[in-house]
Amino acid sequence: MRRKQWILHKDHLLPFLRKLRKSRSLVAPVRNSYGDTMYTEMNDLDNESIELAEQPQNSLKSFFFPQREKLCHYSVDEAVGDSAQAYRFYPSLPESRAVVYFGVRSCDMFAVMYCDTIFLGGRERDVYYDARRRNALFITLACNHPFENCFCNAARTGPYLEMGYDLQFTDLGDRYFVEVDKARGREVVQQWPQFFVPAGDDDRQAHYQAALESRGLFRRQVHVDLAVQLLDQGEEPQALLAELSARCQDCGGCAFICPTCTCFNIVDQPLSDDRGERVRTWDACTFDGFTRMAGNHNSVQIISQRVTKRFYHKLRDDVLRHGRSSCVGCGRCVGMCFGGVDIVRFIDGLCAADDKRSEKREDGHD
Amino acid sequence: MAGLATTFGSGAMTNSINELSSAQVILLSGSNTTEAHPQVARRIYDAVDQGARLIVIDPRQTAMASLAHIHLQLRPGTDIPLLNGMMRCILDENLVDELFVEMRTENYIPLRDLLLTIDLNEVTATTGVSIKDIARAARIYARAQRSVICYCLGVTQHICGTANVQSYAGLAMLTGHVEREFTGVDPLRGQNNVQGACDMGGLPAVLPGYQMVADPVVRDKFDRAWGVCLSDKPGQTLLDMTHGAGSPGDKLRAMYIMGENPMLSDPVLDQVEATLDSLDFLVVADLFLTETAARADVVFPAASFAEKNGTVTNSERRVQYMNKAIDPPGAARDDGWIIMELSRRMGYAMEYESSAEIMEEICLLTPIYGGMYHDRLIDNWGLQWPCSDRAHPGTPFLHKFSFARGRGRFQPASHVPPAEPVDSAFPFLLITGRSYHHYHTGTMSRCCPTLNREHDKPFLDMHPDDATRLNIPDGSRVQVTSRRGSCKFFLRYCQSLAPGDLYCDFHFHEAPVNVLTLSARDPEAHCPEFKLCAVRVEEVI
Amino acid sequence: MDQVMSICCYCGCGCGLYLQVEQGRVVGVMPSHNHPVSQGNLCVKGWHLHEFIHDPRRLTQPLIRRNGTLLPASWDEALDFTAQSLLAIKEQYGPDRIGVLASAKCTNEENYLLQKFTRAVLGTNNIDHCARL
Repeated sequence: MRRKQWILHKDHLLPFLRKLRKSRSLVAPVRNSYGDTMYTEMNDLDNESIELAEQPQNSLKSFFFPQREKLCHYSVDEAVGDSAQAYRFYPSLPESRAVVYFGVRSCDMFAVMYCDTIFLGGRERDVYYDARRRNALFITLACNHPFENCFCNAARTGPYLEMGYDLQFTDLGDRYFVEVDKARGREVVQQWPQFFVPAGDDDRQAHYQAALESRGLFRRQVHVDLAVQLLDQGEEPQALLAELSARCQDCGGCAFICPTCTCFNIVDQPLSDDRGERVRTWDACTFDGFTRMAGNHNSVQIISQRVTKRFYHKLRDDVLRHGRSSCVGCGRCVGMCFGGVDIVRFIDGLCAADDKRSEKREDGHD
Repeated sequence: MAGLATTFGSGAMTNSINELSSAQVILLSGSNTTEAHPQVARRIYDAVDQGARLIVIDPRQTAMASLAHIHLQLRPGTDIPLLNGMMRCILDENLVDELFVEMRTENYIPLRDLLLTIDLNEVTATTGVSIKDIARAARIYARAQRSVICYCLGVTQHICGTANVQSYAGLAMLTGHVEREFTGVDPLRGQNNVQGACDMGGLPAVLPGYQMVADPVVRDKFDRAWGVCLSDKPGQTLLDMTHGAGSPGDKLRAMYIMGENPMLSDPVLDQVEATLDSLDFLVVADLFLTETAARADVVFPAASFAEKNGTVTNSERRVQYMNKAIDPPGAARDDGWIIMELSRRMGYAMEYESSAEIMEEICLLTPIYGGMYHDRLIDNWGLQWPCSDRAHPGTPFLHKFSFARGRGRFQPASHVPPAEPVDSAFPFLLITGRSYHHYHTGTMSRCCPTLNREHDKPFLDMHPDDATRLNIPDGSRVQVTSRRGSCKFFLRYCQSLAPGDLYCDFHFHEAPVNVLTLSARDPEAHCPEFKLCAVRVEEVI
Repeated sequence: MDQVMSICCYCGCGCGLYLQVEQGRVVGVMPSHNHPVSQGNLCVKGWHLHEFIHDPRRLTQPLIRRNGTLLPASWDEALDFTAQSLLAIKEQYGPDRIGVLASAKCTNEENYLLQKFTRAVLGTNNIDHCARL
């Protein structure tokens, strides 16, 4: 049997990353001079600081699915006339670079897997996403210390992963406990065996202990399962949705910051009279124009139902379609919303209403 | 601006944006905050979630008005009687902060005498707000320890804008709600560096840092630094320039316009057009061929904010550094380079190797920016002026210990009716403003596909009762006519307006709203009466 | 992809954000989490800040009106022509017949230079901007 658990001493992390960088670009959480931590492509391993104690404020979404991406450019041949034949399209695929993503949190890894089902899981593969995604290597970091707004335990995406990564690192103080899942991870260990020593029983015990302790450190209790169940039973919290919708300020920030919101719009941008670019850009279901049809009809009552689609998609539709909720519990949408309309507030409100009803029912029985 | 400057001594926001979250009472006036200043609205939501009380003074039922504990839906242009009413209630209920009035203010007696003549029934008749609501709002505002007033162009863009602002400032001083953290009077600035453009002396009567052109000591300092002899005659204001005011001998023969679009933003566009066309020479620097640039003799292609280094100053007086991200397209160059080149060719060498060197000169000559060296602004979130020297940490809230002008001055005011009241020929009052998705004349925002999808045509908001009476269906094409001109909109039913009032925004060149608006303006601040003009509406068939 | 710290160019809130730059093009924006105003979020205009920067309608070369039409010109031509025209008008009518509009969209340094240009080179205080609009 191939060994799947190793130890990498912390002193050897930087030398190991330096080797990896010889044939790949490196993306890792970097704390910049303004104190913001973001997943960033590292140009200089020695003068940029990898920050593993803070949650990166961005997810990995934009590395595979940029906010604005040119799909192709086109030209129009006036001589051919007004027909479809007048158009010529010249696709422009992004370069398929080899990139190692280091220090990826469990929720963010889970989000990449979700995006894979959306962009690569159907009958047609999304070639743009595929090109950026194909040569990616993921080294995740198990969360020993969940952040302020995290609820991956409730969303069942963390704090430790059981699958999906190439390598998963767990911080054991002076060393990392390294687990291998995918073949690409195994290849890395085989290529640089000098950094890895087999994990022993003590290490495994320490790893288990860390996993155990991290579960007790979540500051938020979010009943994702109950919310999923209530929506599945046909619960329609109209009043709650209307209240939250009224406070939504239509910024789209929740969808843009969300690692699993994948809606996009495609627009043609003319560059001159006879040529232009076809571009896809992030879109958000909270926007009026997302559902507005010709003739100004909108199937969504924008004032009272603006946020409905978003919460239902995450907690109901994706459960039906893919077997699980697509909220990964990263907590990024919490605290950043202008009106305080985040998914936790929705779940709390939904469950609180249910609590009240159950209390009433119990009172009735008495 | 002029309003706060004459009462407090400084025309800027007294607090920082973040302080709003910790206020106990927020009085918001003439601001559609959720649309025009979303980050401020976010702090108001936070404050309300933490138990703060919100009072909104606005003729429109804005999102903030829906959240408010009290919405004083006054008739447009009746702020002064409303505030006099509130202050009378404060006087009657002994809620005046007498110690503050005595220690920190002046000219209180004339205000008190005026307030004693106020008849609250008359106030109700003028404003349309009940005595009960006025008294409740006054009580809530006066009794809290940390009350803050925020206002926007709904207060200033009136013929009596200065007096409006002075009345709000008076309310704050009467109750001692200023000169501390979390309390004060905060005008919300509309553009990213409108504060900075004022600070830098982009105004006819002041040099950088609000140092008066008329002051010989100030001029002497600049004369020596610049090696010239400066004119002591204050210049013409924006509207004097674009409307060609004054005697024929004052009319401009040439203009240099940097990144502005008066052909859409200024009132009475016919007059602006005539003025620009009458010039011998017009040069415009801009990103796009705007309505104004299209009339120029020379157009300079300028760099956008992403294509240059430099600082901008936000509404809370925070001077922040912007990094250059990319090169300008084609031959476009930043405005600093353009001005230096032009100056050199006109025989006055300006040789700055970087924007940091320009800032060093600003620090030298501008006391409030004395410590704003670039190296202090990079890698952090900037500093708030006044900041006198390198060691100064910046100033999060103004007027600690005393007002900038010494004592705060009460300026009693009486009602000024709108310059153009409605009548049978022009029965509607048109209010203009900014929408959420677009920005000013739309030069930038209308080039953003997503924003344009969200809001792609000019709407006229009308109460459904009015629309039903006129028999115009929702979505119809309508023509709005004032005494000065007319333009076309798409009608949108809107419950949040009072019947008789109309609302539209000014971002669309297809519907240049400012052909309708008045040239009447405030006598001190020269702010045009954008918020109100009398119009009639017809369906276009 | 590089992240370049900048300040939103729309309203007076002055949100701090990162411009995401890929091969010389701004392809997205990310609000700063620690910035005292933006605190991790932007309004709809801020989130779409990158969309106008590369608009094909951007001006890319100086224009001079010749026979009623604005035509492309070199910087030298445009600047020389402007300098001569302004000098001639100043000479003939005096400095107070020239007016300048500064911009709430430009930097402090640029506004400082423009008012210095107006006062020291043109010799007038006829400078204002749209603070009141």
